[in-house]
Amino acid sequence: MKNSSWTYARKISQSFCLAVFLWLFLQTEYRGIDQLPYPVSLLFRIDPLAALADFLAPGPFGWQILWPALLILLGTVLFGRFFCGWICPLGSTLDGLGKVIGRGRRTFSPGWRRVKYYLLIGLGTATLFGVQLLGLFDPLAIFLRSLTLAVYPAYNYGLNRVFDFFYEHNVPLLSATVKNSYPFFRDNLMAFHQPIFALGLFTLIIFLTILLLEKVEHRFWCKNLCPLGGLLGLCSRYAILQRTPQKLCADCKSCDSLCRSGAVRSSGHMRSECLLCMDCTGFCPEERVHFGLRTGSDHYVGVDLQRRGVLTAMASGVMMAPAVRIGPVTHEQNPYLIRPPGAVAEDEFLQRCVRCAECMKVCIGRTLQPALLQAGPVGLWTPLVVPRIGYCEYNCTLCGQVCPTGAIAPLKLPEKKKNVIGLAVIKKDRCLPFAKGVECLVCEEHCPTGEKAIVMEEKELLVDGEIRRLKFPRVIDKLCIGCGICETKCPVEGASAVRIINEGESRRKRSELLAGPYG
Amino acid sequence: MTGIDRRTFIRQSIRTAVASSAVGCLPALDLLALPAIAADSPPLAVRKGKNIKQLVKETIGALGGIEQFVTPGEVVVIKPNIGWDRTVELAANTHPEVVKTLVELCLDAGAKQVRIFDRTCNDERRCYTQSGIRSAVEGLKSDRVSLEYMDRRAYKELAIKGGKAFDRWEFYMPVIEADRLINVPIAKHHSISKLTLGMKNLMGVIGGNRGRLHHQIAESLADIASVIHTDLTVIDATRILVANGPQGGRTEDVRNTETLIASPDMVAADAFATTLFGLKPEDVSTVVAAAQRGLGVMDLKQVRMV
Ligand code: SF4
Ligand code: SF4
Repeated sequence: MKNSSWTYARKISQSFCLAVFLWLFLQTEYRGIDQLPYPVSLLFRIDPLAALADFLAPGPFGWQILWPALLILLGTVLFGRFFCGWICPLGSTLDGLGKVIGRGRRTFSPGWRRVKYYLLIGLGTATLFGVQLLGLFDPLAIFLRSLTLAVYPAYNYGLNRVFDFFYEHNVPLLSATVKNSYPFFRDNLMAFHQPIFALGLFTLIIFLTILLLEKVEHRFWCKNLCPLGGLLGLCSRYAILQRTPQKLCADCKSCDSLCRSGAVRSSGHMRSECLLCMDCTGFCPEERVHFGLRTGSDHYVGVDLQRRGVLTAMASGVMMAPAVRIGPVTHEQNPYLIRPPGAVAEDEFLQRCVRCAECMKVCIGRTLQPALLQAGPVGLWTPLVVPRIGYCEYNCTLCGQVCPTGAIAPLKLPEKKKNVIGLAVIKKDRCLPFAKGVECLVCEEHCPTGEKAIVMEEKELLVDGEIRRLKFPRVIDKLCIGCGICETKCPVEGASAVRIINEGESRRKRSELLAGPYG
Repeated sequence: MTGIDRRTFIRQSIRTAVASSAVGCLPALDLLALPAIAADSPPLAVRKGKNIKQLVKETIGALGGIEQFVTPGEVVVIKPNIGWDRTVELAANTHPEVVKTLVELCLDAGAKQVRIFDRTCNDERRCYTQSGIRSAVEGLKSDRVSLEYMDRRAYKELAIKGGKAFDRWEFYMPVIEADRLINVPIAKHHSISKLTLGMKNLMGVIGGNRGRLHHQIAESLADIASVIHTDLTVIDATRILVANGPQGGRTEDVRNTETLIASPDMVAADAFATTLFGLKPEDVSTVVAAAQRGLGVMDLKQVRMV
């Protein structure tokens, strides 16, 4: 199989884009500057599904951030699914790793191709009715989420073990070199703190499954499942870029087996399925294949979307909304449902967040963790503040800077310092002075608000028949912003003796706050 | 040589005796016993001034110059307080200019290497930058100086002989192994120990769950200080935090005292620093506990003001 110059160009583009995304991924980390110097969430700013979620969410559309996604859509309308062949990092990973994994040559029933459209239609309709789950299936979200929550932590873990080994064992010659290279790795190619994520394994399994589907069929995911591929496919219906010959040639039919997307039929060219990889310009033994502007006759073949299927997909989408709405209000069910500072009100948040995990990647205190069911069944992979693992750094505004959809609004530092994400409550049955009669003030010491939201009050306590004067912590509700450092640092073993609950959070409607449960 | 050994031996024995007799007694009673053991009155230098560079030089000069503490070819650890993500004027961290001048003095004295670090409370990258210490140290452009992040692998559990709150704890080995340790805390308010000074600053070179130290803060810190030997303590009181310590956050709580305190005896330096807050050394339990253990002199009449 020969490669044409088009194929080389495409491979360069794929490698380049993948490299840029990986580089941006590494830059999604605090490096001593409060304002991130790069548009690290670029991947989602060119993501039409993220734009769709944003468009259908309440509130205005985020033109300023998401205009690149519209450019991609425009390009697709003109030329077809060039994004899939030339840019998409998941597509490139599949192309690249397919060789390693070994590629299946099975061809599935053409019915499978419809799945991605049904998925898109179903998810799109659900979004229209207020339940946004696009992110669960968005290839870009899957890619970055898997990197953030699984691949990168595992990579860091492995590297750390290697460095630790050479640190602890003195291997002649090697140890010194490895030790000297450690600071470079730590500062540029590794996470500053080993990332810790609860859903790492779960996320990894899904990612591996998508990769392993290559064993079944080349670009199985892209052909059959990817809803973004479906959206781009729908948009390329009238693309002006045309492949000649449009049909399989009677004497050869190589395209039938060699096209990675099976886009060439004897009846015509399935433009919406063509990934524009351009390989056919090379592998055609007669060098007949060319891409050029559309002329004259058009033998376009589309995927046969059966009306029944489309209607079922739409109906399921419509049903999603009431099915979710009849569930109990999550923040009342789960007082520990805490969102990052700047997060919009919970309903809107769920509609905006595309589960891309950018915020979790950048979080300096490792407090942002992906939710499993804590935010209800539709909250899967949305970011939660989990203060026992880490706290929200008082002077940090990074998560709002990276969120591509406005689910977390970018806050200026003075606003951020006033943004209430929760409230600390002291559990007297565990807090040391109350429960054990011993001194402790760790929560007060770490409380970052200028005038401390935790005060120590001296009182007498009868301990073992003797009166002791001890200091007891008390939370001043109106000063507490819920950053959670007290919960992180509490020296009590296991669950902290001070816990953050979501009472009084800024993102709730004022009236809801003032009224309270008792009127 | 032997004379020194004998003297050290006797002093140690007396200290141990006093320390063990102090168990279970009220601090007030033990104080009476203290003058007996403070045979060699330690020097203490206190200077005031607006120009920090000059202030550091004068104060160290009064103790006989940095050469008294650092000899050429030595590895020196300077341990400022860089614990908090706060800017200079909020008085939560040691003043960068104090740190920088001390580093310069050590380099001039021929130190082979000067290492600076702290186990911070907020994110270390933020603390090192925000405190101004990173730019001050990097501004020196010397390859003999390094501002380092603590290496999680370099902690080791050590036995604390005669420890009262703990008999073992994790210590940061580069500190234990260094030739010299210069402790450079900032004087600040603290809710339980009242003040955080030199002894409290040593919490920045230990590992483990440090929160546990607060159950018995005085004895715990004395335990720690009995393992870590400091050669020189320089207390930065160029500005002090009088409320909402130890990390502050409001300029209202900061007082400009323009003072520097230095002594080879950490307890004496801490004892003097209490007076800046209108307190007496015996008001601060950590100082009392350390003196009782014989770690230094807290009676300001016993020190030699230089
Ligand atoms: S189909 Fe989806 S995953 Fe495949 S290349 Fe296109 S956008 Fe990427
Ligand atoms: S909230 Fe986090 S996961 Fe959700 S869209 Fe924003 S950055 Fe991505």
